Formats: sequence, structure tokens, C-alpha cells
Amino acid sequence: MKQQAIFLAVAERVVPEMAGLGRRARADALALVEHQLAARPERVRRELALLLTLIRWAPAIRYGRPFERLSPDRQDAVLAWLQDAPAAKLRAGFWGLKTLAFLGYYGRAEAPETINYRPSHDGNTLLHAR
Amino acid sequence: MPDRSFDIVIIGSGAGGGTVAKELAPLCKDGLTIAVLEWGARLKEEEYTGREVEMADRLYVDSGGFLTHDRTMTLAFGRAYGGSTVVYTGTSLTMPEKTLARWNVEGLAYDDLLRRSRKYLDENSVHLLDPADINDNNRLFHDACRALGYRVEQFPINVRGCLGSSLCNLGCPNAAKMGTHRVQLPEAERQGVTVVTNCRVSRIDDRTLRATVTDPGFGLPSAWAPGEYRIRAKIVVVAAGAVNSPALLLRSGLGRRLPALGRYFTAHPALILVGEHPRPITNYYGHPKSYYCDHFAESDGFLLETCMYFPFVTAKNLAGFGAAHSRLMAAMDRMQMILVLALDPAEAGNRVTVDGGGHPVVRYTLADQTRRALVKAMRVSSRVFFAAGATRVHAPAGRRFFIEAAERDQIDELIPFDGLKPGKISITSAHLMGGCRMGATSSDSVTNAWGEVHGVPWLFVADGSLFPRCSEINPYVTIMALADRVAERVRERIAQA
Repeated sequence: MKQQAIFLAVAERVVPEMAGLGRRARADALALVEHQLAARPERVRRELALLLTLIRWAPAIRYGRPFERLSPDRQDAVLAWLQDAPAAKLRAGFWGLKTLAFLGYYGRAEAPETINYRPSHDGNTLLHAR
Repeated sequence: MPDRSFDIVIIGSGAGGGTVAKELAPLCKDGLTIAVLEWGARLKEEEYTGREVEMADRLYVDSGGFLTHDRTMTLAFGRAYGGSTVVYTGTSLTMPEKTLARWNVEGLAYDDLLRRSRKYLDENSVHLLDPADINDNNRLFHDACRALGYRVEQFPINVRGCLGSSLCNLGCPNAAKMGTHRVQLPEAERQGVTVVTNCRVSRIDDRTLRATVTDPGFGLPSAWAPGEYRIRAKIVVVAAGAVNSPALLLRSGLGRRLPALGRYFTAHPALILVGEHPRPITNYYGHPKSYYCDHFAESDGFLLETCMYFPFVTAKNLAGFGAAHSRLMAAMDRMQMILVLALDPAEAGNRVTVDGGGHPVVRYTLADQTRRALVKAMRVSSRVFFAAGATRVHAPAGRRFFIEAAERDQIDELIPFDGLKPGKISITSAHLMGGCRMGATSSDSVTNAWGEVHGVPWLFVADGSLFPRCSEINPYVTIMALADRVAERVRERIAQA
């Protein structure tokens, strides 16, 4: 993915726990995202790149610096504005970006255990035991 | 390009295609040749792992993330031997008479539809789960609805030997869900029907199909080697689902003579709410979907259903991000979930088209009544959660990420109508209907009441795209009943020939 650094900067605000991932886990997260993007049309990847560019540089107009150099609170403010942007296209674009961040973090094999999600193919045995 | 020739070709193997295949299979002993062409793979038993991302990739179109044209709604539909019956939750309801009356299709009678529906309830082992197998997530919903005076019913489920994995939407890992991959297709194959998996039909011309077989790298090998094929058939039954059936017929040039083709697409737009409980509850042990509330269906146009989803799906369906989102996600063992579904109107502008490459494009705009229904459904669900003992609720259209129990008297103010912002909130659909709707004339419908495409006597449609309006319940049993009618008409055509 182009602009991987800005994607990760956004992802760490979307899922703060991303910042605490080790190198391998982070690589796994990015691999999940890349796998999904590879299956999509080129248009989708271009639109993602455009959105990341917008997120990176639009804050410079208001705050005088690009996204990755803002404080966490200001980064959150930028993303919150996008989430509620007047244009549905921007809102949908941010939702898509969030979805990729969630995929990278929660789609990893190790993630379910960390959020107390422990399904079993024989769930009824455990259900009856409660 | 290899040529193949059959008397009957069925495109798609889900609730519609699988049913038609099984109902026509007895013709094989009379010497007829029948093939089912299925785009998806037939998974090996050990490939039903229950791992979220892996199974979504293998069993869903676009990994469950097919987006409408404006990206504001996600459509989830299966692509597999068994179609969406492999991935849906197994709830099995017959369509109410008043809904069929609203459909107003000449030649489609309630008694006939009910009789056929009941045949499949029996065939698919549909029954109510034992109370001992109902988990807290479901029981709390039931008890809260009762306490609030809301009508609540138990879902009959098509399972045999369910072990309560709660992984239904990722393909049952215990072979317990009686979709067409377990019931109708094996029976059809036993009687001589050929099922070709990994086979995508690109176009239908005069009784001739163009198809491509690929190797996806998983599942059992297809009956045919990878490559391009030309298939001739005397009769073609299209059952590729409400997105791909209209798309295929549009690619095949039928849009010019059938102006309604692709139109009147409905979806039961849905979204998820979460109630957080102070202590762990049983939610991912046991069948995930035991109850529904249709108390508000007639008055306000929505249904509530119990549900339990997986980490990634849950995460993307919560509005918001950051610390509050993560805190809620970390409490998956304390989550109670409700799925709200709006009963959307059939509008000509909501339609399936194809782009320059022939790929389906779904254009869908939420009607005002649908938006109001979703907001009201969120308010009602929040009341259900608090009545169930939840300490706080996440409603996607809420002013804040959480509504606390102390604020339960302010639910209407905290979930305003303008809080439902398309694009911001995750709206999904797994009930895809319309696009090849039944009706009397070719000016405003695609098929007659027996699924015969107007003006094309050898071409039929047999899936949810037949629906002229939404079904107001889970559509799968109704699809099977309609497919049974299509099979009956195909048999008559064969006999006449």
C-alpha cells in the first residue's frame, strides 16, 4: 500500500491498541489489509490513496502541520470531523478506512483472545456448563 | 473452447438453484441431462474452520463486503456450493398471508405457497431449539421484550445435530445447518444431476451459455477443468441471487426488452446495536439467533432479531473509533446484540445495473420511511437492552458512543432522526430481493408468477430476485417455495416438448 505510514498513523487512532503491536503482529495486520485491497478494483486503491493524502495534508491548513505531526487529540478531532463530514462520500470513505483498520487489528488470529471472545465448535457443552 | 450440452442448466446452487436441481433430478432417470453451474467452491469438511476472515474470504462475494454504488450499504451474500444457505443463520419462516397480499402477484396464491414452504420446513429439519440450548444473549432479549409488552417469537431453525458453535454465518463447522449443500444438492447429485463448481456464467445467448471455470485454491476440484466453456441447453434456470441474476440477464442483453430488469431491488437494510452487561453472559456459546420481535412490523416497518457476530464484523458495525470503541470491543463476553431490520419499499430507482466490465452495480437509496424505521428500531432496541439489565448501550445513530442506563428516559433525544447519516453508520443487508420481479406484463416485471421470463419461453428465474416487494421475513423458505413452482413449470415445458 502506498502511504503505509499515514495509514498506520490513522489506524493507531482508530484502534489505539495498534500502537502496542510488535513487529510481527503489525506485519500480520498490514498483510490482512493488503490482501483485501488486492482483491478490489484499482479504483478503490486510488480512492484510498486520495483519502489518505487528504487526511495527511488538510490539517496543515488549520493546524499548520500534517496529520502525523499533530497531537493525538488533534488527530482525533480531524478524524471525528471526517466521520461526520457534510458529504456522504467523505463519511463513507472514512468508514472504509476505519474498516480496514479494524480488519487489520481484529482480523488477526491472536485478537479474539484479547477481547474475551473464545468460541468453540461445541458451544453447547460450554453453555450447559455455565 | 469445449462445448457441453444439457437438457436443463441451472445457474446457482443456493436456496433457489439447489431446490430446482433436486425437484428436477427425477428427470435424470428418464434420460434427461441436468447441470448446476455454481460460481463458488465446494468446501472440504475440514475447511469449515470458523476463522472469521478466512471463512469470509472463502464463502462470501467480496469477503462479505460488497458495497452499493455510493458505498453506504454493505451487501453480504454467499458464493459457494449451497450459495447463501451455507452462511445464513438458518431461521426458517413462512411468509404471512398479508405480505403475499401486498405482493399482489396474479397467479400466486397463499395456500399454494404455504404448502410448498411447509414441504421444505420438513425436508430441512426445521424445528424450535430446546430451551436448554438457548443462551443468555437470546433469553435476555426474550424476557425483556415480554416485560415491555412487545410480541416476541422463537425462530424455527434448519439444523440437525447443532452443537451451538455460533459460527453459522461463517459456515457451520459441525455440518449441522441443513442448507442446500447438505440436503437438496446431494440428493440431486445422487439422482444424476451434474454440479460444476468454480464455474461463473458470463452471458446467456439463445440457449447458449458462456462460462469460465477457475481454481480458487481451496475446496474440492470442480467437475470440469479450468478454462472457458460454451454450454448449450434447452432450458436455462437462473438462480444466481438478487444481485447476480439481474446482472447476468443485463449482460445478456435482456434489459432492452424488459425495462424492469434490475429494478425494485429491496434489502431489509439492517444495523447492529450492542448492550453492555456488568458481568459476562453466554452469547457466543449456543445458536446465535433464537428470537425475533415483529411487534412493530405493521405500525413502524421494522423487525428486531437476536444476533451475535464476530470480532471484525462487530468492530466495523459500531459507529465511532478510538478508546471508547476499544473498551466496548474488549467486553465481547459481556455484549448483548440486537439486529434491526427495516421493511423497505420497492422503488424503481433502487436497482442492479452493470458497469462497462459487466460487473454488478447496486444503486440503492434509503427511503425516508426506511430511515425513520431504523431510528425507531434503535430506540426500541435500547429500551430492550436496559430492560434486560444492560448498563449502557451503543446505538450507531446515537449522539454519543454510549447511552448510560441513567439516561434511559432520554432515549428519543439521544437517538435523533438526523443521527442516521448514510456513510457514517454501517448499514448492511443479507436479505437481497427483487431485480427480476414477478408480474403480469413485460412493461413492469421480468417474469410471470412461475418464474418464466416474459417473451423467452426457455428461460426461467428461481431465486430471491423474483420478489416484487420485500418478504418482511427472512426470505429463504419463500425462495425455495417459489423455486418449487419454477421446477413444476419446467417439468410441464419438458413434457410438452
